[in-house]
This record gives sequence, structure tokens and C-alpha cells, in this order.
Amino acid sequence: MDMGIIKVKDLIYEYIRRDEEGNVEGITTAVDNVSLDIRQGDFVAVLGHNGSGKSTLAKHLNAILYPTEGTVWVDGKDTRDDTAVWDIRQTAGMVFQNPDNQIIGQVVEEDVGFGPENMGVPTKEIWERVEESLKAVGMYQFRKFSPNKLSGGQKQRVSIAGVIAMHPKCIVLDEPTAMLDPKGRKEVIRAVRALNDVERITVILITHYMEEVIYADRVYVMDQGKITLQGTPREVFSEVERLKELRLDVPQVTLLAHELRKEGFPMPRGVLTNQEFADALDRCVSEMVQ
Amino acid sequence: MLRDITLGQYYQADSVIHRLDPRVKLGTTVLFIISLFVFQGFGGYLVAALFLVLVIRLSTVPFKFMVKGMRSIVFLLSITVIFNLFLTPGEPIVRIWKLSITQEGLRLAVLLSIRLSFLIIGSSVMTLTTTPNQLTDGLEKMLRPLNKIKVPVHEIAMMMSIALRFIPILMEETDKIMKAQLARCAEFDSGNVIKKAKSLVPLLVPLFISAFRRANDLAMAMEARCYRGGEHRTRMKPLHYEKRDYIAYMIVICYLVGGVAAGKLMPLLLGSVLL
Repeated sequence: MDMGIIKVKDLIYEYIRRDEEGNVEGITTAVDNVSLDIRQGDFVAVLGHNGSGKSTLAKHLNAILYPTEGTVWVDGKDTRDDTAVWDIRQTAGMVFQNPDNQIIGQVVEEDVGFGPENMGVPTKEIWERVEESLKAVGMYQFRKFSPNKLSGGQKQRVSIAGVIAMHPKCIVLDEPTAMLDPKGRKEVIRAVRALNDVERITVILITHYMEEVIYADRVYVMDQGKITLQGTPREVFSEVERLKELRLDVPQVTLLAHELRKEGFPMPRGVLTNQEFADALDRCVSEMVQ
Repeated sequence: MLRDITLGQYYQADSVIHRLDPRVKLGTTVLFIISLFVFQGFGGYLVAALFLVLVIRLSTVPFKFMVKGMRSIVFLLSITVIFNLFLTPGEPIVRIWKLSITQEGLRLAVLLSIRLSFLIIGSSVMTLTTTPNQLTDGLEKMLRPLNKIKVPVHEIAMMMSIALRFIPILMEETDKIMKAQLARCAEFDSGNVIKKAKSLVPLLVPLFISAFRRANDLAMAMEARCYRGGEHRTRMKPLHYEKRDYIAYMIVICYLVGGVAAGKLMPLLLGSVLL
């Protein structure tokens, strides 16, 4: 069967709300009929505002939550298969939002070694893996530090190293930058992009920061549990009005280009970076001069 | 301010004692404490004192750090000494009003204060030269046989090390909540005991809620990283006995034998003048 590293088919996940006595009050559908197919080596971004179901979707990819209906395959294995759980968690590593709540070790290197220890990797190889993963995220010089002495961005990079040390094929990052300052956000996104470019690890980045998704191969926008928009970043960001309806902020340059276009200037759709904007403006001005 | 505290009282240095396997240090401390109660007479204590001096010298930890731990028990020590001095029946030496200091009382008081202070110094040598992490590792490996009688040794050790990891984080959080409540006119240090205790409620409730939330997140993160208890787990820093550890055990045995022998021989040598 030919399928990508992650395949999601008709996934539905329902939370059952209960009142204080435990009676069912109602059912919230957090993920509603979502299908995804992610190829090995892709950089995929999932966008959505709070409560859009994107974190719930992410937790399915690591077998932390199980589908109410539909199926999730990670590397060809059904997540509902109990015997495959540990393989799946090793194949699809997960980085969470709060850096403080996912670091287990009291020293950076011990934390990175935690995953391989659980997998039963021999001691010598654990050390090799720890060294290589810390180098991959640029945290090797901090290996003897206590996590409490690091900044948010550094802690999050340690968490990423902890996942890489398990040699996953795919990393799911569930809003890894939500609690970080702009500097920390940049550090983390740079590290993630490097992993995707250099190590060819599949990245699934869940976020609500639009700037972070412009490098993605493919973007999915979620709203009320459904995927409402998908495509390349350029295709998605061409839909400025639709994104605004979904209460998502478009990057400033994209918005500016869009507004100019609306006023009748010949700007292209879906401008993503400052450089692109500058080039487009140049062309636009020279066209108008002629 | 709260974030600067260091846990335990580890003194960073690179000595033989620091490098010893934590199991050796734990075992020695336990044996040392037992020996303090087994040894009879001053002979044994002389040997214990020599042993302590040797270990402290080897550890390169300044003596003042050892004595720090003593401060906390000065009160306890003085009460014990006073009670023993006055309330032990026997041959009186000095009489003050209705109370008398007896010969036996004097002897007991001196022995007890030596015992207690050696005990404190001995155990602080261990905590000063071993990181909390090594201690939990050592405990886990030493207590592993208890697994057979269904004691969850690995889980207990894991809980200890997670607690150690989270204490500074929760301290920082307490600090934050305290400031947030102070900004809203909460008072933490005024009024009588009851009022003070009541004022802690708005501090403790949010702290507990956040601790539970953190625990939930952490559990999920651990599962996501394939944590499934102690079985099949390998160690990044496994504990191995080395030559120096065996030598240390030999020295401890020599110490025990020497102490018991000294306790027996001393009275013979000195007659019963002192004792």
C-alpha cells in the first residue's frame, strides 16, 4: 500500500461534556471529518485560532488520543493498534507548548537521553545520540546546564533535541512557540527548518503565528474542527479576506500587498516575505512610471 | 529571589569522595550511623572521629560547610544534654538547689552529644558530595531487590527526581502568585497565626491547580517519549562499581572492626578511670 508517513482518513474526535454528577451534557466535535496525507520529508503547517481543533488533531498523530471515528496511520500503522503504540510514538515524536512541563531531566543532556533510555538503547549509543541531537539544535554547549537556567527558546530547543534523539521520521510540534518571546520563536523555527532541510525529518508544525508557516511546503487551515483552506503558503495567503473571517492574522507584508492590490495597484497575490514585497513594489512602480 | 536556592547542599568539587559510587556513600552513611550506636565507650568514638576527619579531608569540602548543618540541631542538642545531665540517677558530683549533676549523667550527656554531632556531620558529608540525582539513582539500584516484594522502587525514584526537577519551578510560580496577590492587596505577613494561615489560601489554591496541570502535561510528554515504567529501560549513566569503590568498602569494614575493638580495648588499657 502506497501511503505517506502520516495518513488521516475521515477523522472525527468527540469530547463528551459532563456536568458535576457525570451526566452527559453534550458532545463537542473537536475534529470533524479531517483527512490528511503527509509525505516523508514534507514541512506541513496546521493553522487555526484557539479551539479550532488543531491541537486535538496533533495528539492523534502520536497516539495520545484515539479517533472516535475514522483512522490515523503513522508509517503504515493504525494508531488504534495497541501493539504498535510505542513504535508510533517513536516514529512521530511530539513537542508540546510549555517548555517547563516537558523537560524531565535535571541536566540538559539527561533530559535528551530520556527518550532513548525508555526505548532501551544501549548506553554508548545514548551518548552518541544525545551529542548529535544537541548539536543539531545548537544546544551542545549547554549540555551540562540545569534546564531552569535556560531561556524559553533554549528550553524548547532542548525538547526538540529530546525528540530527535529518538530518531523519529516525523516531528509533530504543537504550538512550540506560543509561550516564547520573538527571539525565542525565531530560534525554535530556525532549528525546526534546519531539521527539515538537513535531516529530512518530516515536520508538522501546529501554530497560530502566520510568519512561521511561510516556509512550509503545505499549509492546512482549520476552523471548528474542519480543514477549511489548504495549499501552498502562497495559495493560502492569497485568500486574505477568508483568513480574516477565520480570525487569523496575515503577515504584515501580505496584508499590505493585498490592500495595495485592492486600491488598484498591480501587486501580485500572496506576497510572503519582505524581499518579495520589495521586488513586487519595484516592478509595480516601474510599470506605473511607464 | 526564590529561584536562586540550590537544592540539597551539594558542594561542587572533584575529590575521591565525590567520585565514589553513590551506593557506597549511602551504605557507608547508614553503617556509620549504626556504628555510632553500637560502639561502646570512648574508644569507639575516637576511631569514629578519626574516620570522619579522614573522610572530610579526602572530600576537600571546607569544614565550615559541615558545621552549618550543626546549627539547626544546637537547640535539640542542648535540651538532650541538659536533661541527661540532671535527670540521670547516680552518684552526684555537683548539687544546684534540688537538681544534681551525676557522674552517669555527665557521661551520658557527653556520649549523646558526640553521637548526635557525628551523625549530623557524617550525613552532611554524604549530601555535600553527592548530587540529588546521584542519590536517587543510588537508592533505586540499592533498593532494587525490594521489587520482589512488590515495592515500586523505580517509580519511587522517578517521583523523587521529578520532584527535585519541579521544586525550583514551583518556587518561582509561588513567587509569581504571591506578587500577583500582593498587587491585589493580599497580606501575607500580618496578623496572628490564624490570620496568616488563612492568608495562605489564595496562594495555595492557584499553586495546587497549576501543579496538577503541570503534572498532567508532564505525564503526556513522558508518554509521548515512550516512557512505560522501569522495564526495558536502559541507563544513560549506569552505576558501576570501580576499584575505588571496593577500596572504600574495605576501609569501612576496617573502620567497623577497629571501632568495636577500640571500644573493647580502651577500658583495659586505661582501667576504669575515665569510664
